[in-house]
Amino acid sequence: MIRRIAYALALPLLLFGGWWVLSAGSESFYAPPLSEILTAFGNTWTLSALRSDVLPSLLRLLSGYLLAAVIGIGLGLAIGVNRRLRFTVEPVLELFRAVPPPVLVPVIMLFAGIGDGMKVIVIVFGCVWPVLLNTVEGVRAVDGVVLETARSYGVTGPARITRVILPSAGPQIAAGLRQALSIAIILMVISEMFAASNGLGFTIVQFQRSFAIPEMWSGIILLGLLGFALSLLFRLAERRALRWYEGLRAAQRRAG
Amino acid sequence: MLEVTGLKKVYRSGNREVEALRDLTFTVDTGDLVCLVGPSGCGKTTLLRCISGLLEPTGGDVRVDGKAVSGPPPGMAVVFQEYGRSLFPWMSVRDNVELPLKQKKVARPRRAELVAEALDAVGLTGTESAYPWQLSGGMQQRVAIARAVAYEPRTLLMDEPFAAVDAQTRADLEDLVRALWQRLKVTVLFVTHDIDEAVYLGRRVVMLSSSPTVVQDELVIDLPAERDQLHTRADPRFVELRTHVYEQIQLAKKAAA
Repeated sequence: MIRRIAYALALPLLLFGGWWVLSAGSESFYAPPLSEILTAFGNTWTLSALRSDVLPSLLRLLSGYLLAAVIGIGLGLAIGVNRRLRFTVEPVLELFRAVPPPVLVPVIMLFAGIGDGMKVIVIVFGCVWPVLLNTVEGVRAVDGVVLETARSYGVTGPARITRVILPSAGPQIAAGLRQALSIAIILMVISEMFAASNGLGFTIVQFQRSFAIPEMWSGIILLGLLGFALSLLFRLAERRALRWYEGLRAAQRRAG
Repeated sequence: MLEVTGLKKVYRSGNREVEALRDLTFTVDTGDLVCLVGPSGCGKTTLLRCISGLLEPTGGDVRVDGKAVSGPPPGMAVVFQEYGRSLFPWMSVRDNVELPLKQKKVARPRRAELVAEALDAVGLTGTESAYPWQLSGGMQQRVAIARAVAYEPRTLLMDEPFAAVDAQTRADLEDLVRALWQRLKVTVLFVTHDIDEAVYLGRRVVMLSSSPTVVQDELVIDLPAERDQLHTRADPRFVELRTHVYEQIQLAKKAAA
């Protein structure tokens, strides 16, 4: 266990060490020494700054992400279960998915304004596709024997969805949610860079425009740490929810 | 009482037609244990899916206790061949057995009772909170049988349930099925491709022809009700019956070729 943690930490430490050493004597205005950036980090990201800039970002991120998850899983279920619906909407979905969400920021601004609503819509629009398409795939791939068993034992109606189809599609849905999480972070920053009065993306752009370069770098580091923490949380939640899947796969490997 | 009359099933794909079942007629009396045997690929599984209401027949009909089957009939439990896929891997053994009871709106205390009794009957007390994939193949099939038993069916269908377990486990499970049948007084239809198994288990054996399937022959197994692996299988009468079934199956195959 300790060994695994040591392995996991070795490379990040090495990279930061390298950055520290290589940038130590840097005269460049745009690439200041890491020591300077870290000092700026401590000074910039005080508790009140976290509250006024990081918290709004996080709230937008979470509401957009959760909304996308609900819409994606709900629609995905409907489309995955219903063959005719699938044939009708699948080509359209592929088209929508191909549109890069940042392009829509100016468009969405036109009718949703520049408030939180716009940012949440942008995040939802970007995140919903991986969730939706993975849910459709997961629902389609539910084993026929599982479905026949459910049918012959009277497991129909809502229980068929919640006790059979959703759990069975769970691993694939989780894969979609994982992809969506990183997209959500990107879109949160981008939407804040376009138009905002607070938030991480806004602050980083402000620093850059006012030539507060070490502060700008510290914001980027904070963003990296935030993404890392979120994906760690996601991993933990996933491992809890899909413990049966890990076990099943391990059992199959042993048998196979 | 299970009545199958003139059952016919034709699969269509594009403009190709495959006739799986041609004209099947047989009955299983209430409380009887009937084994269906046939050469491999004779449409046994198709027949079972028609009886369990999972598949719409092209012609003829299936009646359970006088009522025509047009969907999974209540009071019928099915044990599938693929136990590994038929048990839900995301649920514990207890939840797997309990879910159909919840759907039947059985009250909670009674549910707990039924689950405990069923697991006890198949010799799996103590595995309630394990996941199916933590158990061996034979134990998984026992869980599937427990699920069927807890459902309190009047009719029990078993689709080659022991095709994928090893020979010793199989012998144990055969005895388990006989014991449960005698205790619960359910009507059992047991599908198998194993002639010995059919003769050992059944009170009657229905032999099927090759596809397109008709009933080749029917045979009453006049062996004593108390059977055991050692003596029953060595009984001269057992050997006679098994030879008869074997000959019929060979005939069925020849007719097809």
